[in-house]
Amino acid sequence: MRKSVLIFILLTTGAAAAQERSDTLAGASVSSTFGSILVPQRIDSGELKTTAGLSEAIRRFSGVQLRDYGGVGGLKTINVRSLGSEHTGIFIDGIQVDNAQNMQVDLGRFGLDGIRSVSLFSGQKVSVLQSAKEYSSANALYLDSGEPVFVGGNDNFRLGLRFGSFGTFSPSMSWEHKFRTGESLRLTAELVSSGGSYRFRVSDFRRFEDGTVEGYDTTMIRRNCDLGSIRVEGLLFSRPESSSQWNLHLYFYDSERGLPGPVFKRVDVYPLSEDRQSDRNASLQARWSRRLSDRWSLMWRTKVSRDFLEYSDFPELRPELDPARFRYTNVNGYVSAAALVRFSDRLRLNMAQDFQYNRLDANLASFAYPERLSSWSAVSGMMSFGGLDASLTLLYQKIHDSSRNGASDRDAVMPSLVMKYNLRDNLTVSGFAKRSYRMPTFNDIYYTTAGAKSLKPEDAVQFDLGVGWTPCNSSGPHFAFKADVYHNRLRNKIIAVPTSNQFRWSMYNLGEVRVLGADFISSFEKTVGRDRLGASGRYTFQQSRDFTSPGSVTYRGQIPYIPIHSGSFNLFNEYRGWRADLTVFAMSERWNTSANLPPYRMSPWVTLDAAASKTFDVGGNDLSVRLTLNNILNRQYEIVDNYPMPGLNALVRVEYSF
Amino acid sequence: MKKIALLAFSIAAAAIAVSCTKDETTSRDADLAGVNVAVGEEKGTFSKLFVLNEGNFLKNNSTLDFLRFSDGNYVSDAFGSMNPTVPQGLGDTGNDLALRDGKLWLLMNGSSTVHILDAEDETLIASVAIPDPRYVAFDDTYAYVSSYAGAVFGGEAAKGKVFRINRKTYKTEGSVETGCQPEGVAVAGNKLYVANSGGYNTVHDDFVSVVDLDSFAVTESRTVASNLHFLTSSSNGDVWISSYGESTWTQDAEGGWIQSMSEPMGLYRLSGGVSSRVDGVHVSCMTLCGDVIYAVGNDEELTGGYALSLYKVSTISGKVSKTAFSGTDAASVGNPYGILVNPENEDIYIADASYTGPGSVKCFDKNLKLKWSAVAGMIPGHMVLY
Repeated sequence: MRKSVLIFILLTTGAAAAQERSDTLAGASVSSTFGSILVPQRIDSGELKTTAGLSEAIRRFSGVQLRDYGGVGGLKTINVRSLGSEHTGIFIDGIQVDNAQNMQVDLGRFGLDGIRSVSLFSGQKVSVLQSAKEYSSANALYLDSGEPVFVGGNDNFRLGLRFGSFGTFSPSMSWEHKFRTGESLRLTAELVSSGGSYRFRVSDFRRFEDGTVEGYDTTMIRRNCDLGSIRVEGLLFSRPESSSQWNLHLYFYDSERGLPGPVFKRVDVYPLSEDRQSDRNASLQARWSRRLSDRWSLMWRTKVSRDFLEYSDFPELRPELDPARFRYTNVNGYVSAAALVRFSDRLRLNMAQDFQYNRLDANLASFAYPERLSSWSAVSGMMSFGGLDASLTLLYQKIHDSSRNGASDRDAVMPSLVMKYNLRDNLTVSGFAKRSYRMPTFNDIYYTTAGAKSLKPEDAVQFDLGVGWTPCNSSGPHFAFKADVYHNRLRNKIIAVPTSNQFRWSMYNLGEVRVLGADFISSFEKTVGRDRLGASGRYTFQQSRDFTSPGSVTYRGQIPYIPIHSGSFNLFNEYRGWRADLTVFAMSERWNTSANLPPYRMSPWVTLDAAASKTFDVGGNDLSVRLTLNNILNRQYEIVDNYPMPGLNALVRVEYSF
Repeated sequence: MKKIALLAFSIAAAAIAVSCTKDETTSRDADLAGVNVAVGEEKGTFSKLFVLNEGNFLKNNSTLDFLRFSDGNYVSDAFGSMNPTVPQGLGDTGNDLALRDGKLWLLMNGSSTVHILDAEDETLIASVAIPDPRYVAFDDTYAYVSSYAGAVFGGEAAKGKVFRINRKTYKTEGSVETGCQPEGVAVAGNKLYVANSGGYNTVHDDFVSVVDLDSFAVTESRTVASNLHFLTSSSNGDVWISSYGESTWTQDAEGGWIQSMSEPMGLYRLSGGVSSRVDGVHVSCMTLCGDVIYAVGNDEELTGGYALSLYKVSTISGKVSKTAFSGTDAASVGNPYGILVNPENEDIYIADASYTGPGSVKCFDKNLKLKWSAVAGMIPGHMVLY
């Protein structure tokens, strides 16, 4: 089903730090992730600079599976604690990036220019002036735009160039300006052009009973994975008075790429896939917040976006025929109001009401033209007593879908409880319980060839208990440790099932998955003379079992693509402006179906990446150069079955700031 | 999108039991271990039951299994074990399996290849490039392979073809254009009958193309029913065709919309050039054994229910007898994708595909009592006895 795509459609060394609290809007600008009771895994801008991009950075979070279809243009999505990428919301400055069509957001669309931090909440984010929608996803990834900082001037310029393997060439620039009236502006633009092709190996060896080993090992070239894209963003920040601030964010992304599809056997006379995809995404989002009094604060958010996708299915076997072109346009409008009432230092109440409108148009015959009106209402109480912080949230979501074929309503109540207790200054115990629902996507309901049913929302229940320890003082070496155990249960999972009429599939609430997991994160940093040394490690255990069909061979099997063991290890050294990083990622065996039988097994893999960077002073301006080497061991591995990942590849980044 | 439609179409086929007996010789594949599933299975003149698992579309996981009657062992992925050096194995989406003169013909839809194997030990003899092969039929000189010929769902309407492969040289010797997305094929007399589905078009095809085998040209078209699928010819020269049926969209009580069948997956008889419907038969999969067509289908498909039944249709009298699966061991069958009947003891083999993982092959006696069941590969759908 290569064309399923079509229907659409760090390292937190900050583990267990003290509670970040920012009730007041004065002073430092309010980030959308600070002030949460549960401290997220976070990568700050310093460390972001050492990663090759957002998807690379996200691999450093524990409990996360990055689904990567390989190559520069390959789809990259995030799945947290085995709940599926549809259960992970991606938020830019507190406003969700939506895809009503299939709820899969390609991380490749986002740049890291001006991003102050990337945070992952595995569970409930509870912070002040939070929108109602922020309570709704089972897990959330936050990208936070930092406000520009000006040192002795009103303009910052940055010119950047990335180039390297796969014929990748990517110039970028940014301009930050401070107006006399106090507003500041950031404009960024990035072009990416990549040929994309790379060599990969396909091999399989069998051991026979008589001890002989026979098999094949052949090298092939991944073709039709070129990418051309342009991204332009404009951000405007303003703080008209100490008690209020607002910002605007305009985003535009246009890309055209080849879809190489999965690798399968095909006679040489025919190419594997000539299919193409074009995307055009535009959005404008705004935030405004104001402290009315010591007791009351308000925040208002809004967003409009339009996402266009064209998928072209080329008849590879008959190039003289016209391709089939499928076009989808997703229009989205969103508005949210949040109020914080601060009764005392110990008791605060956050209330929020959000509305959203989505519409999907397509050029398909007998398309349903679905529209969705959604409403989220949330009340969240936050309490602090001695060393105990707790919050109780109630969220009510209602959606009304209508289409050419009729209308339907669905609703859900999603409660959550978050607690944290500081046993000692450097030792905290935290936990949460959360129920969240994923509403069926337009694809689930209005998939023209797959039939449709009245679906219930997918039901995710999460329990988590964690402990954090930071046993050192500020002057000496830094050490942090955090461990979490969790249990997730996914019910009424929406899956496609063939109907009595076997060649038509229908969507049903059938699946059930139970997850037992544990995440461990620790980090260590120490300064020795002029050297700063650091090490960090992450390990994730995830037993994610399929309880869908009792009696079948898949019953109690590990669900597809989730490794039982995975982890990473990072070492760095900073010395006189130089920084060197070595990172190892490892994953145990996985299966591509819940039937954990040998034919469906995917091999474990280990990759080694290295990066070196140095910032030079050129006439008072900064010139930074970074070399990244990925997959140094040149291992052939796959994250998604039949989508081979590239071997050794190198990327150079040069940046000049003035 | 074509893949979805293809997935849709690549579901089941009647593997036609070619009665063919072989003397007993030991082949290299006798060493292949398997899972013993059929304890006490009596060995008749057949030595193996071959099962072609279609695999998931574009997953390159089609496999060939067999049950060895001599020891009741079910051997998975025999092709991979006997041909370990063939890159990427069998390939993608096996859509048909047929046996002729000791050779197995495997039609790999996604890989656009027809593999010819020695049925004795599953070793690869030849591979022939054919775009989107669907079903195969034989005469003394040629294999005739229906082909979608590169059409894509939602793209330009393009006629399908039947390719002619020389059975001695394994070379393609010409092709003939048929209707759109041709499916089942069978030879009767000096004619090749081709069922056209037109499944990629908004309006489906509704006719059988008749190819004269001397001139290798389409000489007639016979209107039968919309969206045709399986096709077989009986000993009296009649041609039997099933359809994929037709569906419409309706609203359910809650206002959601649901796809339902407006035309059944029916069975049609073409006799003397005249088409008639065989009433009361629903065909998810079918096979011919002697003078009886065995079909499994959903008796309640038009009313939205799900009640699988076995239909036996006499190709002489046209008489239909029906046995409901419910209340028999066959009630365990979820998604019948393929059926085959053993002419010696009337055992019924049903390939039961699963949507969550590997499928299974189940053997029932003629009273639908379960004899054995084996875990197969992904989407088992095509079987032959050797």
